[in-house]
Amino acid sequence: MKTLGIQLVRMAILVLLAALGSAILVRYSPGALVDERELDQRMSTETLAALRNQRAIDNGLGSGLFRYLQKAIDGDLGKSQSYNVPITKLLRENAPATLRRVGIGLGSAWLFGLSLAIPVAYFRSAWMLDAGTALLTSTLLSLPAGVLAYLCLTIGAPVEIVLLLVLTPRVFRFSRNVLVQAYGSTHIDMARARGIDELRILFAHVFPSAAPQLLALAATSLSMAVGAIIPIEAICDAAGLGRLAWQAAIARDLPLLLNLTMLIALATTAAMAFTEVVTGHPAENTR
Amino acid sequence: MKAARLLAIIFLGVVAISAVIPHVWTPEEYGTQLRDHADAPPSRRFPLGTDPLGRDRLARLLYGTRISLLLAPAAALLSCVAAALIGGIAGFTGGWTERIVLATVDLFLSLPWLLLLLMVRACLPLNVSPLASMAITFLMLGLLGWPASARVVRAAVTRFRAADFILQARAAGCTQWRLISRQLVPNVMPVLLAQFWTSVPLFILAEATLGMLGLGVSEPLPSWGGILREIESGDVLSQPWIAAPVLLLAAVIGSFQLISPREDYSV
Repeated sequence: MKTLGIQLVRMAILVLLAALGSAILVRYSPGALVDERELDQRMSTETLAALRNQRAIDNGLGSGLFRYLQKAIDGDLGKSQSYNVPITKLLRENAPATLRRVGIGLGSAWLFGLSLAIPVAYFRSAWMLDAGTALLTSTLLSLPAGVLAYLCLTIGAPVEIVLLLVLTPRVFRFSRNVLVQAYGSTHIDMARARGIDELRILFAHVFPSAAPQLLALAATSLSMAVGAIIPIEAICDAAGLGRLAWQAAIARDLPLLLNLTMLIALATTAAMAFTEVVTGHPAENTR
Repeated sequence: MKAARLLAIIFLGVVAISAVIPHVWTPEEYGTQLRDHADAPPSRRFPLGTDPLGRDRLARLLYGTRISLLLAPAAALLSCVAAALIGGIAGFTGGWTERIVLATVDLFLSLPWLLLLLMVRACLPLNVSPLASMAITFLMLGLLGWPASARVVRAAVTRFRAADFILQARAAGCTQWRLISRQLVPNVMPVLLAQFWTSVPLFILAEATLGMLGLGVSEPLPSWGGILREIESGDVLSQPWIAAPVLLLAAVIGSFQLISPREDYSV
């Protein structure tokens, strides 16, 4: 219970710091204090003064952030500058598609990554298998997610396949090393010597000893998936949070980008905190 | 493995030399628009054909390689220096400084890197000159790429801080500055070097991704990101030669992976 409390406090602090960092970036970015309405010559001196006063209040870092958080608790995340619609509406419309893609992509990447890692870790002396998988994963890791997205788009493959191709080599590499370490333990040799069958060794001995690190990787892979989905959705022109983030960056729609950053920070820190609570092992981000 | 590493070093050497003296391969400049040869297929004069504006694709690829291969290591160097300073101070002083640095590192690492890059890039002006866009892109990579390395450096410094040789040096009356410069830095250097070689391909890929999204080095200056963006408007199936930059990028990143010190991927 104490660990859970510590993790929740840590998560809240990290999210607040992310909000503050984003707010500072937004507040001090070039052009942040420019209001096009001031160019309208019909505006009287009093109206201009009122506009400037309002902007000074809106752009105050501390008060602005406090007001933003207060409204966010009520579900009001502000208005997108480029779409001119409430940000909550945009997030509600785009989140399901991205969540589905990330879910399918992550699930299948874990399935393929582990299915490859188990035989490679088990047959450690089979260098052909090790070299073959290393070559395949190195090739995939050498290509930006955007290029893989473009290639898949050319052959008409679904977006989830791109995510699978981006995440599988990463999951494979980490889990292979973890499983090799687990298979190398003396208690596994002892179990083999006692004639316990390999399937039982895998499920009763290898997986439990590798579980904390694999769970830590699971939390990290969410961050990897979110990072990869941005170029994938942008290149494939698939509606979702990734494409929204890219369009917000292109249009310099900073309020929308700030909210997306906060949302993603919340999701990834929650995943990492959950792992740390479950395993008591820090979820290292490996990028 | 040794032979593969040697091959990778030779390949990277050839690519680097070609990028430094592109005129060995093509007499054209990257920005010259030959309107009579727009969208030309590969020929003796244009081994990789030309783009829709009539610019030699090989010249653009070689000049783009020069920019990426020169500036990605520069950005990696910048991030390693930042990581050494921040991680080193945290590891050496310990206490609250260490906690604050670790919290900052956690904050940076909890966000996907690309999202962070998009956020910072969007806060900077987008309509800047090509040279400024190049500087912004690689400076941003260097300044935002330090947290993962800082964590590794902090761990190394913390380990060394408690080592016997540091204790002995302290007992011998070694000053703080001498302790850092003569004992700590030489021991942390291999860790930093490993982080540098790991960062270079990461930064090349990050620039490529930013370029593909239209947020990297802007036209007419070529970079791998910008060149890869061009393949989006072409058809790889009917014009397979436009995929040459993809192959070169994959080969270069693969070579960097081979020559990088082997990482421990366990988490």
